Amino acid sequence: MTPEDLRFLLVGAGLFILGAIGFLTRRNLILMVLSAELMMHGVSMTLVTFGRIHQTQEGQIFTIFTLTVAACEAGLALALVLSLYRKSHSLDINLWSELREPDMPAPVQDAPARIDDGSGSYGDTPKLTPAGIAPKDPPRTKSSAGASSART
Amino acid sequence: MMDWLQAHPMTVVGLVLWAVGVLWLMPGKQAGSTRPKIPGLLFTAAGLFAFCLSCGKPQTQLADEVMFWVFAVSALLCGVLMITAKNPVYAALWFALATLATCGLFLLQSAPFLAAATIIVYAGAVIVTFLFVIMLAQQSGAAGYDQKSGQSVMATISAFVLLGAVAMTLQQEKLEIGVPVVVAKAKGAGTSAAANSENMISMVPAPADSLSPSSEAKAPAKPGNLLSAADPDHAVGDLKGLGRSLFSDYLFAVELAGTLLLVASIGAIALAPRREQGAL
Repeated sequence: MTPEDLRFLLVGAGLFILGAIGFLTRRNLILMVLSAELMMHGVSMTLVTFGRIHQTQEGQIFTIFTLTVAACEAGLALALVLSLYRKSHSLDINLWSELREPDMPAPVQDAPARIDDGSGSYGDTPKLTPAGIAPKDPPRTKSSAGASSART
Repeated sequence: MMDWLQAHPMTVVGLVLWAVGVLWLMPGKQAGSTRPKIPGLLFTAAGLFAFCLSCGKPQTQLADEVMFWVFAVSALLCGVLMITAKNPVYAALWFALATLATCGLFLLQSAPFLAAATIIVYAGAVIVTFLFVIMLAQQSGAAGYDQKSGQSVMATISAFVLLGAVAMTLQQEKLEIGVPVVVAKAKGAGTSAAANSENMISMVPAPADSLSPSSEAKAPAKPGNLLSAADPDHAVGDLKGLGRSLFSDYLFAVELAGTLLLVASIGAIALAPRREQGAL
Protein backbone atom coordinates (compact mmCIF):
# COMPACT_ATOMS: atom_id res chain seq x y z
CA MET A 1 0.00 0.00 0.00
CA THR A 2 1.51 3.23 -1.10
CA PRO A 3 0.97 6.54 0.72
CA GLU A 4 -1.23 7.58 -2.17
CA ASP A 5 -3.62 4.71 -1.54
CA LEU A 6 -3.48 5.51 2.15
CA ARG A 7 -4.80 8.99 1.68
CA PHE A 8 -7.63 7.86 -0.57
CA LEU A 9 -8.62 5.36 2.11
CA LEU A 10 -8.55 8.12 4.71
CA VAL A 11 -10.73 10.38 2.59
CA GLY A 12 -13.19 7.51 2.19
CA ALA A 13 -13.25 6.98 5.94
CA GLY A 14 -13.80 10.71 6.43
CA LEU A 15 -16.78 10.74 4.08
CA PHE A 16 -18.20 7.73 5.87
CA ILE A 17 -18.03 9.24 9.34
CA LEU A 18 -19.43 12.55 8.09
CA GLY A 19 -22.44 10.64 6.81
CA ALA A 20 -22.68 8.83 10.14
CA ILE A 21 -22.68 12.11 12.06
CA GLY A 22 -25.39 13.46 9.78
CA PHE A 23 -27.48 10.34 10.20
CA LEU A 24 -27.22 10.46 13.97
CA THR A 25 -27.83 14.14 14.51
CA ARG A 26 -30.23 15.39 11.86
CA ARG A 27 -33.93 14.96 12.54
CA ASN A 28 -35.21 15.44 9.01
CA LEU A 29 -36.21 12.24 7.20
CA ILE A 30 -34.83 13.35 3.85
CA LEU A 31 -31.55 14.55 5.33
CA MET A 32 -31.09 11.21 7.05
CA VAL A 33 -31.44 9.42 3.73
CA LEU A 34 -28.98 11.86 2.15
CA SER A 35 -26.50 11.20 4.95
CA ALA A 36 -26.78 7.49 4.27
CA GLU A 37 -25.92 8.24 0.64
CA LEU A 38 -22.85 10.15 1.81
CA MET A 39 -21.77 7.09 3.78
CA MET A 40 -22.25 5.11 0.59
CA HIS A 41 -19.81 7.46 -1.18
CA GLY A 42 -17.21 6.75 1.47
CA VAL A 43 -17.67 3.02 0.98
CA SER A 44 -17.39 3.38 -2.80
CA MET A 45 -14.16 5.33 -2.43
CA THR A 46 -12.72 2.64 -0.19
CA LEU A 47 -13.77 -0.14 -2.58
CA VAL A 48 -12.21 1.58 -5.56
CA THR A 49 -9.00 2.13 -3.63
CA PHE A 50 -8.87 -1.50 -2.58
CA GLY A 51 -9.35 -2.51 -6.18
CA ARG A 52 -6.43 -0.35 -7.16
CA ILE A 53 -4.26 -1.67 -4.36
CA HIS A 54 -4.86 -5.22 -5.52
CA GLN A 55 -4.71 -4.28 -9.19
CA THR A 56 -8.02 -6.01 -9.93
CA GLN A 57 -11.28 -4.92 -11.48
CA GLU A 58 -13.30 -6.16 -8.52
CA GLY A 59 -13.26 -2.90 -6.62
CA GLN A 60 -14.89 -1.00 -9.45
CA ILE A 61 -17.33 -3.80 -10.22
CA PHE A 62 -18.50 -3.98 -6.63
CA THR A 63 -18.86 -0.21 -6.65
CA ILE A 64 -21.09 -0.43 -9.69
CA PHE A 65 -23.31 -2.87 -7.81
CA THR A 66 -23.42 -0.66 -4.72
CA LEU A 67 -24.40 2.17 -7.04
CA THR A 68 -27.33 0.08 -8.27
CA VAL A 69 -28.39 -0.72 -4.74
CA ALA A 70 -28.05 2.94 -3.77
CA ALA A 71 -30.36 3.96 -6.59
CA CYS A 72 -32.97 1.40 -5.49
CA GLU A 73 -32.59 2.51 -1.91
CA ALA A 74 -33.10 6.16 -2.77
CA GLY A 75 -36.28 5.42 -4.71
CA LEU A 76 -37.78 3.24 -2.00
CA ALA A 77 -36.74 5.61 0.77
CA LEU A 78 -38.37 8.55 -0.96
CA ALA A 79 -41.59 6.61 -1.48
CA LEU A 80 -41.59 5.74 2.22
CA VAL A 81 -40.86 9.35 3.17
CA LEU A 82 -43.76 10.55 1.07
CA SER A 83 -46.21 8.11 2.60
CA LEU A 84 -45.02 9.04 6.09
CA TYR A 85 -45.40 12.68 5.19
CA ARG A 86 -48.98 12.08 4.14
CA LYS A 87 -49.78 10.79 7.62
CA SER A 88 -48.01 13.33 9.78
CA HIS A 89 -47.56 16.37 7.51
CA SER A 90 -44.07 16.78 8.81
CA LEU A 91 -40.66 15.36 8.05
CA ASP A 92 -39.76 15.18 11.73
CA ILE A 93 -38.38 11.76 12.61
CA ASN A 94 -39.27 12.25 16.27
CA LEU A 95 -42.96 12.00 15.45
CA TRP A 96 -42.37 8.38 14.52
CA SER A 97 -40.33 7.40 17.53
CA GLU A 98 -43.21 5.35 18.95
CA LEU A 99 -43.81 3.45 15.73
CA ARG A 100 -44.34 -0.23 16.57
CA GLU A 101 -46.59 -3.21 16.14
CA PRO A 102 -49.98 -2.80 17.87
CA ASP A 103 -49.37 -5.56 20.41
CA MET A 104 -45.90 -4.42 21.42
CA PRO A 105 -45.29 -2.40 24.59
CA ALA A 106 -44.27 1.20 24.20
CA PRO A 107 -40.53 1.71 23.79
CA VAL A 108 -38.57 3.27 26.58
CA GLN A 109 -38.09 6.89 25.73
CA ASP A 110 -34.90 8.59 26.64
CA ALA A 111 -36.08 11.89 25.26
CA PRO A 112 -39.52 13.33 24.77
CA ALA A 113 -40.88 12.76 21.32
CA ARG A 114 -41.34 16.44 20.82
CA ILE A 115 -38.65 18.67 22.17
CA ASP A 116 -39.95 21.73 23.89
CA ASP A 117 -37.92 24.57 22.51
CA GLY A 118 -38.62 26.78 25.49
CA SER A 119 -40.96 29.14 23.76
CA GLY A 120 -43.97 27.36 25.22
CA SER A 121 -45.09 26.04 21.88
CA TYR A 122 -44.38 22.62 20.45
CA GLY A 123 -42.15 22.70 17.46
CA ASP A 124 -44.13 22.92 14.30
CA THR A 125 -47.67 23.40 15.51
CA PRO A 126 -49.27 26.50 14.01
CA LYS A 127 -49.50 29.52 16.23
CA LEU A 128 -52.33 32.03 16.36
CA THR A 129 -51.11 35.48 15.68
CA PRO A 130 -53.24 38.51 16.56
CA ALA A 131 -54.34 40.41 13.47
CA GLY A 132 -56.32 43.50 12.65
CA ILE A 133 -56.87 46.60 14.69
CA ALA A 134 -57.10 46.06 18.40
CA PRO A 135 -60.51 47.24 19.68
CA LYS A 136 -60.41 50.09 22.15
CA ASP A 137 -62.97 48.74 24.55
CA PRO A 138 -63.00 45.05 23.83
CA PRO A 139 -65.24 43.02 26.17
CA ARG A 140 -68.96 42.62 26.67
CA THR A 141 -70.68 41.93 23.42
CA LYS A 142 -74.40 42.40 23.32
CA SER A 143 -75.29 38.74 23.37
CA SER A 144 -73.14 37.93 26.36
CA ALA A 145 -74.52 40.94 28.19
CA GLY A 146 -78.05 39.82 27.36
CA ALA A 147 -77.29 36.27 28.45
CA SER A 148 -75.85 37.39 31.74
CA SER A 149 -78.80 39.73 32.38
CA ALA A 150 -81.22 36.99 31.47
CA ARG A 151 -79.50 34.66 33.91
CA THR A 152 -79.76 37.17 36.72
CA MET B 1 -1.10 4.01 20.55
CA MET B 2 1.38 6.42 22.11
CA ASP B 3 3.83 5.71 19.34
CA TRP B 4 1.21 6.60 16.82
CA LEU B 5 0.32 9.78 18.68
CA GLN B 6 3.96 10.83 18.66
CA ALA B 7 4.56 9.79 15.09
CA HIS B 8 1.48 11.47 13.64
CA PRO B 9 0.68 14.59 15.65
CA MET B 10 -0.69 16.23 12.52
CA THR B 11 -3.49 13.67 12.20
CA VAL B 12 -4.61 14.20 15.77
CA VAL B 13 -4.53 17.98 15.45
CA GLY B 14 -6.47 17.78 12.20
CA LEU B 15 -9.09 15.48 13.66
CA VAL B 16 -9.59 17.65 16.73
CA LEU B 17 -9.85 20.86 14.72
CA TRP B 18 -12.23 19.23 12.28
CA ALA B 19 -14.45 17.90 15.07
CA VAL B 20 -14.57 21.33 16.69
CA GLY B 21 -15.54 22.87 13.37
CA VAL B 22 -18.32 20.34 12.80
CA LEU B 23 -19.64 20.91 16.31
CA TRP B 24 -19.55 24.65 15.84
CA LEU B 25 -21.42 24.54 12.56
CA MET B 26 -24.01 22.07 13.80
CA PRO B 27 -27.36 23.63 14.62
CA GLY B 28 -27.74 23.79 18.37
CA LYS B 29 -30.19 22.13 20.70
CA GLN B 30 -32.42 25.19 20.80
CA ALA B 31 -34.29 26.04 17.68
CA GLY B 32 -33.52 29.73 17.56
CA SER B 33 -29.84 29.83 18.35
CA THR B 34 -27.52 30.86 15.56
CA ARG B 35 -23.77 31.13 15.69
CA PRO B 36 -21.59 32.96 13.24
CA LYS B 37 -20.44 30.54 10.58
CA ILE B 38 -16.98 31.88 9.86
CA PRO B 39 -15.12 30.40 12.88
CA GLY B 40 -16.63 26.99 12.28
CA LEU B 41 -15.66 27.11 8.61
CA LEU B 42 -12.12 28.16 9.52
CA PHE B 43 -11.80 25.37 12.07
CA THR B 44 -13.10 22.82 9.58
CA ALA B 45 -10.84 23.97 6.78
CA ALA B 46 -7.78 23.99 9.04
CA GLY B 47 -8.61 20.54 10.36
CA LEU B 48 -9.15 19.16 6.87
CA PHE B 49 -5.88 20.64 5.71
CA ALA B 50 -3.95 19.12 8.59
CA PHE B 51 -5.72 15.79 8.12
CA CYS B 52 -4.90 15.63 4.43
CA LEU B 53 -1.32 16.78 5.09
CA SER B 54 -0.85 13.94 7.53
CA CYS B 55 -1.75 11.36 4.92
CA GLY B 56 1.82 11.24 3.68
CA LYS B 57 3.72 12.68 0.78
CA PRO B 58 3.61 10.38 -2.17
CA GLN B 59 5.85 10.96 -5.11
CA THR B 60 3.29 11.93 -7.66
CA GLN B 61 3.21 14.58 -10.27
CA LEU B 62 2.32 18.10 -9.33
CA ALA B 63 -0.91 18.05 -11.32
CA ASP B 64 -2.11 14.90 -9.56
CA GLU B 65 -1.20 16.40 -6.24
CA VAL B 66 -3.15 19.58 -6.91
CA MET B 67 -6.16 17.64 -8.16
CA PHE B 68 -6.14 15.37 -5.15
CA TRP B 69 -6.06 18.32 -2.78
CA VAL B 70 -8.83 20.17 -4.53
CA PHE B 71 -11.11 17.17 -4.79
CA ALA B 72 -10.45 15.70 -1.35
CA VAL B 73 -10.78 18.96 0.54
CA SER B 74 -13.88 19.98 -1.37
CA ALA B 75 -15.52 16.56 -0.93
CA LEU B 76 -15.00 16.59 2.81
CA LEU B 77 -15.86 20.27 3.20
CA CYS B 78 -19.06 19.84 1.20
CA GLY B 79 -19.87 16.86 3.37
CA VAL B 80 -19.48 18.96 6.50
CA LEU B 81 -21.61 21.74 5.05
CA MET B 82 -24.23 19.21 3.99
CA ILE B 83 -24.72 17.68 7.40
CA THR B 84 -24.82 21.07 9.05
CA ALA B 85 -27.06 22.91 6.59
CA LYS B 86 -30.25 24.20 8.15
CA ASN B 87 -32.14 24.25 4.88
CA PRO B 88 -32.67 20.81 3.32
CA VAL B 89 -32.48 22.24 -0.19
CA TYR B 90 -28.99 23.57 0.53
CA ALA B 91 -28.11 20.22 2.07
CA ALA B 92 -29.11 18.44 -1.15
CA LEU B 93 -27.06 20.88 -3.22
CA TRP B 94 -24.00 20.46 -0.99
CA PHE B 95 -24.45 16.73 -1.39
CA ALA B 96 -24.41 17.16 -5.15
CA LEU B 97 -21.11 19.05 -4.88
CA ALA B 98 -19.67 16.36 -2.62
CA THR B 99 -20.70 13.81 -5.24
CA LEU B 100 -18.94 15.74 -7.97
CA ALA B 101 -15.77 15.95 -5.89
CA THR B 102 -15.95 12.23 -5.18
CA CYS B 103 -16.23 11.60 -8.89
CA GLY B 104 -13.09 13.66 -9.36
CA LEU B 105 -11.34 11.39 -6.89
CA PHE B 106 -12.62 8.38 -8.85
CA LEU B 107 -11.06 9.85 -11.97
CA LEU B 108 -7.76 10.21 -10.15
CA GLN B 109 -7.98 6.57 -9.23
CA SER B 110 -8.33 5.59 -12.87
CA ALA B 111 -12.02 4.77 -12.67
CA PRO B 112 -13.48 6.92 -15.44
CA PHE B 113 -16.55 4.75 -16.05
CA LEU B 114 -17.40 4.77 -12.39
CA ALA B 115 -17.04 8.55 -12.23
CA ALA B 116 -19.39 9.00 -15.17
CA ALA B 117 -21.90 6.49 -13.79
CA THR B 118 -21.89 8.13 -10.37
CA ILE B 119 -22.45 11.56 -11.84
CA ILE B 120 -25.30 10.30 -13.99
CA VAL B 121 -26.98 8.33 -11.22
CA TYR B 122 -26.48 10.75 -8.37
CA ALA B 123 -26.41 14.20 -9.86
CA GLY B 124 -28.81 13.29 -12.62
CA ALA B 125 -31.37 11.18 -10.83
CA VAL B 126 -31.02 10.96 -7.09
CA ILE B 127 -30.47 14.63 -6.32
CA VAL B 128 -33.26 15.70 -8.62
CA THR B 129 -35.67 13.27 -6.97
CA PHE B 130 -34.61 14.44 -3.53
CA LEU B 131 -35.16 18.04 -4.51
CA PHE B 132 -38.61 17.18 -5.84
CA VAL B 133 -39.57 15.49 -2.60
CA ILE B 134 -38.14 18.32 -0.51
CA MET B 135 -40.20 20.81 -2.46
CA LEU B 136 -43.32 18.64 -2.18
CA ALA B 137 -42.95 18.10 1.52
CA GLN B 138 -41.41 21.36 2.57
CA GLN B 139 -43.44 23.52 4.84
CA SER B 140 -43.41 27.22 4.35
CA GLY B 141 -40.61 28.78 6.28
CA ALA B 142 -37.95 26.92 8.17
CA ALA B 143 -39.21 23.89 10.03
CA GLY B 144 -38.28 23.54 13.66
CA TYR B 145 -36.73 20.12 13.27
CA ASP B 146 -34.20 21.45 10.79
CA GLN B 147 -33.02 24.15 13.14
CA LYS B 148 -31.86 21.88 15.91
CA SER B 149 -29.93 18.70 16.18
CA GLY B 150 -30.08 15.91 18.70
CA GLN B 151 -27.08 14.38 20.45
CA SER B 152 -24.66 16.27 18.26
CA VAL B 153 -21.79 16.27 20.76
CA MET B 154 -21.92 12.55 21.43
CA ALA B 155 -22.33 11.69 17.75
CA THR B 156 -19.46 13.91 16.63
CA ILE B 157 -17.06 12.75 19.32
CA SER B 158 -17.76 9.07 18.77
CA ALA B 159 -17.55 9.40 15.00
CA PHE B 160 -14.23 11.20 15.15
CA VAL B 161 -12.86 8.66 17.63
CA LEU B 162 -13.81 6.04 15.06
CA LEU B 163 -12.03 7.99 12.33
CA GLY B 164 -8.96 8.33 14.55
CA ALA B 165 -8.96 4.58 15.11
CA VAL B 166 -9.19 3.95 11.38
CA ALA B 167 -6.35 6.40 10.73
CA MET B 168 -4.25 4.76 13.42
CA THR B 169 -4.80 1.35 11.90
CA LEU B 170 -4.00 2.55 8.40
CA GLN B 171 -0.87 4.42 9.38
CA GLN B 172 0.91 1.54 11.03
CA GLU B 173 4.21 0.91 9.36
CA LYS B 174 3.87 -2.83 9.23
CA LEU B 175 0.39 -2.79 7.76
CA GLU B 176 0.36 -4.65 4.49
CA ILE B 177 -3.02 -4.85 2.89
CA GLY B 178 -2.71 -6.10 -0.53
CA VAL B 179 0.09 -7.42 -2.53
CA PRO B 180 -0.86 -6.91 -6.15
CA VAL B 181 -2.26 -10.10 -7.57
CA VAL B 182 0.09 -11.80 -9.91
CA VAL B 183 -1.77 -12.14 -13.13
CA ALA B 184 -2.58 -15.75 -13.74
CA LYS B 185 -2.42 -16.19 -17.42
CA ALA B 186 -3.66 -19.65 -18.12
CA LYS B 187 -0.84 -21.22 -20.00
CA GLY B 188 -2.76 -24.17 -21.25
CA ALA B 189 -2.82 -27.36 -19.24
CA GLY B 190 0.73 -26.75 -18.20
CA THR B 191 -0.31 -24.50 -15.37
CA SER B 192 0.60 -26.38 -12.27
CA ALA B 193 -1.81 -26.45 -9.40
CA ALA B 194 0.83 -25.17 -7.04
CA ALA B 195 1.52 -22.07 -9.07
CA ASN B 196 -2.18 -21.49 -9.46
CA SER B 197 -2.89 -21.68 -5.77
CA GLU B 198 0.02 -19.39 -5.12
CA ASN B 199 -1.58 -16.88 -7.41
CA MET B 200 -4.93 -17.23 -5.76
CA ILE B 201 -3.76 -16.82 -2.21
CA SER B 202 -1.33 -14.04 -2.82
CA MET B 203 -4.18 -11.72 -1.84
CA VAL B 204 -4.76 -13.48 1.42
CA PRO B 205 -2.20 -13.68 4.20
CA ALA B 206 -0.77 -16.86 5.69
CA PRO B 207 -3.83 -18.84 6.95
CA ALA B 208 -4.94 -19.60 3.43
CA ASP B 209 -2.05 -21.99 3.13
CA SER B 210 -3.82 -24.61 5.15
CA LEU B 211 -6.97 -24.11 3.16
CA SER B 212 -5.68 -24.28 -0.35
CA PRO B 213 -4.90 -27.99 -0.81
CA SER B 214 -8.46 -29.16 -0.29
CA SER B 215 -9.90 -26.54 -2.59
CA GLU B 216 -7.27 -27.39 -5.14
CA ALA B 217 -8.25 -31.02 -4.90
CA LYS B 218 -11.85 -30.19 -5.61
CA ALA B 219 -11.19 -27.92 -8.54
CA PRO B 220 -8.03 -29.15 -10.12
CA ALA B 221 -6.03 -26.82 -12.32
CA LYS B 222 -8.77 -24.34 -12.99
CA PRO B 223 -7.28 -21.76 -15.25
CA GLY B 224 -7.39 -18.14 -14.33
CA ASN B 225 -7.75 -16.45 -11.03
CA LEU B 226 -10.49 -16.20 -8.46
CA LEU B 227 -10.36 -12.47 -8.89
CA SER B 228 -10.40 -11.07 -12.33
CA ALA B 229 -6.98 -9.63 -12.39
CA ALA B 230 -6.42 -6.99 -14.98
CA ASP B 231 -4.83 -8.20 -18.13
CA PRO B 232 -1.34 -6.98 -18.61
CA ASP B 233 -2.45 -5.26 -21.81
CA HIS B 234 -5.31 -3.47 -20.04
CA ALA B 235 -4.81 -1.14 -17.12
CA VAL B 236 -7.08 -1.35 -14.10
CA GLY B 237 -10.25 0.56 -14.71
CA ASP B 238 -9.89 0.25 -18.42
CA LEU B 239 -13.34 0.25 -19.95
CA LYS B 240 -12.69 -2.79 -22.06
CA GLY B 241 -11.47 -4.91 -19.20
CA LEU B 242 -14.19 -3.67 -16.91
CA GLY B 243 -16.93 -4.49 -19.37
CA ARG B 244 -15.50 -7.89 -20.13
CA SER B 245 -15.25 -8.74 -16.47
CA LEU B 246 -18.71 -7.39 -15.73
CA PHE B 247 -20.40 -9.34 -18.48
CA SER B 248 -18.48 -12.57 -18.14
CA ASP B 249 -17.45 -13.15 -14.54
CA TYR B 250 -20.31 -11.23 -13.04
CA LEU B 251 -23.04 -11.78 -15.58
CA PHE B 252 -25.31 -13.42 -13.04
CA ALA B 253 -24.84 -10.56 -10.63
CA VAL B 254 -25.63 -8.07 -13.38
CA GLU B 255 -28.90 -9.88 -14.08
CA LEU B 256 -29.64 -9.90 -10.36
CA ALA B 257 -28.98 -6.19 -10.15
CA GLY B 258 -31.38 -5.60 -13.01
CA THR B 259 -34.03 -7.65 -11.24
CA LEU B 260 -33.38 -5.71 -8.06
CA LEU B 261 -33.97 -2.46 -9.92
CA LEU B 262 -37.25 -3.81 -11.30
CA VAL B 263 -38.42 -4.96 -7.88
CA ALA B 264 -37.44 -1.65 -6.32
CA SER B 265 -39.33 0.35 -8.92
CA ILE B 266 -42.43 -1.80 -8.46
CA GLY B 267 -42.12 -1.39 -4.71
CA ALA B 268 -41.71 2.35 -4.95
CA ILE B 269 -44.83 2.61 -7.11
CA ALA B 270 -46.76 0.43 -4.67
CA LEU B 271 -45.57 2.43 -1.67
CA ALA B 272 -46.06 5.90 -3.03
CA PRO B 273 -49.30 7.69 -2.10
CA ARG B 274 -52.10 7.21 -4.64
CA ARG B 275 -54.07 9.98 -6.14
CA GLU B 276 -57.40 8.71 -4.85
CA GLN B 277 -56.00 8.77 -1.34
CA GLY B 278 -55.99 12.53 -1.47
CA ALA B 279 -53.38 15.17 -2.03
CA LEU B 280 -50.23 15.29 0.01
